[in-house]
Amino acid sequence: MMKKRMMAATLAGAMVLSMTACGGQDSTQQTSSGTQDDAEESVPVELVVTTTFAGEDTNAQNYKEAVKGWETKSGNTVVDTSATADETFKTRVVTDFETGSEPDVLFFFNGADANSFIEAGKVVPIDEIRGEYPEYATNMNDDLIVASLVDDKKYAVPVNGYWEAMFINTEILEAAGVSKPDGSYTMDQFKEDCEKIKAAGYTPIAAALGNIPHYWWEFAIFNNQSPDTHLEIPGSVDDENGQAWVAGMNDIKELYERGYFPENTLSATDDETFAMFTEGKAAFLIDGSWKVGGIVGACQSDPEDPSTLDADKLAKFDVTYVPGKGNRKASDLVGGLSSGYYITRKAWEDPQKKEAAVDFVEYMTSDNVVPAFAQHSASALKNAPEVDEAEFNALQIKAMDMMAGTTSLTGAVQDLFMGDCRVPTFDGMPEIVTGRVAAEDAVAEGLEMYHNQ
Amino acid sequence: MGANIYRNKKPALVFLFPAFLFMVLFLYYPFLKNILNSFMEIKQLGSAGTKFNTPWYSNYTQMFQDQNVWTSVKNTIVMMIVTLVGQVGIAIVLALMVDNIGRGKQFFRTVFFFPIVISATALGLMFNLIFLYDKGMVNQMLEALGKQNLTDWKAEGIALFTMMLPVMWQYVGFYFVILVTGLNNISEELYEAARIDGATTLQRVRYISVPLLHNVICTCSILAVTGALKVFDLPWVMFPKGMPLKTTFLTGTYMYYQTMETKNVDYGAALAVLIVVLGVVLSKIVNSIFRERDY
Repeated sequence: MMKKRMMAATLAGAMVLSMTACGGQDSTQQTSSGTQDDAEESVPVELVVTTTFAGEDTNAQNYKEAVKGWETKSGNTVVDTSATADETFKTRVVTDFETGSEPDVLFFFNGADANSFIEAGKVVPIDEIRGEYPEYATNMNDDLIVASLVDDKKYAVPVNGYWEAMFINTEILEAAGVSKPDGSYTMDQFKEDCEKIKAAGYTPIAAALGNIPHYWWEFAIFNNQSPDTHLEIPGSVDDENGQAWVAGMNDIKELYERGYFPENTLSATDDETFAMFTEGKAAFLIDGSWKVGGIVGACQSDPEDPSTLDADKLAKFDVTYVPGKGNRKASDLVGGLSSGYYITRKAWEDPQKKEAAVDFVEYMTSDNVVPAFAQHSASALKNAPEVDEAEFNALQIKAMDMMAGTTSLTGAVQDLFMGDCRVPTFDGMPEIVTGRVAAEDAVAEGLEMYHNQ
Repeated sequence: MGANIYRNKKPALVFLFPAFLFMVLFLYYPFLKNILNSFMEIKQLGSAGTKFNTPWYSNYTQMFQDQNVWTSVKNTIVMMIVTLVGQVGIAIVLALMVDNIGRGKQFFRTVFFFPIVISATALGLMFNLIFLYDKGMVNQMLEALGKQNLTDWKAEGIALFTMMLPVMWQYVGFYFVILVTGLNNISEELYEAARIDGATTLQRVRYISVPLLHNVICTCSILAVTGALKVFDLPWVMFPKGMPLKTTFLTGTYMYYQTMETKNVDYGAALAVLIVVLGVVLSKIVNSIFRERDY
């Protein structure tokens, strides 16, 4: 009995000791953090950074190189949690903020997608940062930094602009006897061309309507509005803009019924339909400026090594305007400065990370780094350097030529339309095009959610 | 004094308390909170409900009108039948065959068990490539056999089959190992006696192996049916958002979709309650059907 009591006492003692040890560890850490305060600048910091520079994004490689440059310069390290910018990524970021596991620095959209964490005060306004770091983002033209929809304050320091346009596979167009579309291209001409392409045995449009209908959604609505009215969210499905949205959805439905999308458009992923385009099976692809890198990567035997580029293959791709309709000319494109670097409140209030976070954003938005990201798109730099075409590949030069003929650049209305409001028309696109849900009902459902919020 | 220490149960209770506390904190409290959340209006993940829905049970009435709920319940029941027939059924056949071979038993055990150790997400990605529309393994094989058109293995009519096949394949090895162990526990003397009496191999299986495996088969069946209710990762990787046309939702994937994708958190909580209710009811039914026998 005595032995058992001794053993119980020993076990209890061991438990208490281990708990004390845990507590002791904490206190040791606290002590060491206390001493670190004194030598704050000399201690390397680990910064968690989330961006959209990943996957097939044109700047995925530029970002990796820039991060490496900053790590070498500062002695700090970056834990990169970047991912391709899709709806799942947006949800992940918003959820991270809601659950308190947000990164230290975030490169994210500055539209309605950022509303929730701005409302919660989880990111720091640029003016507040300038209160302590007066030079912060002063190389940027403040007029081009987009203000938040929540409080009209500016939070995100932009890097590069974007545009959305139509990539074409010229080899297929030639085989089908279709000429390259220009700034006067209309929807009726587009349908005629699609018929020819289909007759030649190719798929006219590379798009995964069950996965990423976003670009067609945007332009189909734009085609029923004008650059002046495109950013107006309809008050209801019955008003003029509401009916324009419905007409846009029905336009996509018509293209689907005509068989212009891939046979598996409702079950394919965006990667699959993009592969159809790069492998010469589909002729048209509406996407953003970030896809230039994806197409160039598909023309390299090693996507990571630009020296392996097959220039002849790349020469088969071009980029042009999205067919227009009504008051929207084909050369009226969607684009702007829709993303930027945020510093989170969590990093700002961490004495160890504050300096590093500011330094990281200053480095990534510096006059030296931004031009590498902006390339063929715009930037918000006050002193943007002259573009040297010799540094660009054939598709980038074609993109710059295309942008030179643009008659207007309007923001994307989906950036203003809250994430979950888009569900009935984004996730619901397969039901709309197959006629299982009326376009009017889907638009009305989304608008009702928007106005209830 | 000596005998009294065995009557004193207090020390055992003390040692059970941490586990009990853990369960209360991380299972029962969240579960009860989830029931409450299913009646509240919750705007976003991570934020608390501020007020009750109007009416407070609206999520439950919506559930009955939601076509996707019916689709997901139907698909889950189909998945249960498939796992029962496909996983346990195939595992029984494989176990009986392996039990009857002289050499290489260990080899087959390892080969059939292997898929279990691979993550379901990795398997999902692998089967995505196998069933890829353009240049997928299956379509290439069919093309080599002379098929002219590509088959969309994820199209509406066939998607459920494409989803269930890898799920079924993944767990066959698990039940196979349990059943082989059950077969090993059957006394060799019984088979020896049957052989002397002139019983054929099939007769030995029919009259000795299968009856004596009854309890093991019951256990496997209960595990398979309850496991089917929890299948999530592989279907979600292969058919995100119920693709195509929301026809491949299971109860788990639909709850996740509502909570994480559409941010309808309180409705997701109501769906979680439905899953628990469904799980309890189906487990009871399965338990009563596959009741173990005493020998």
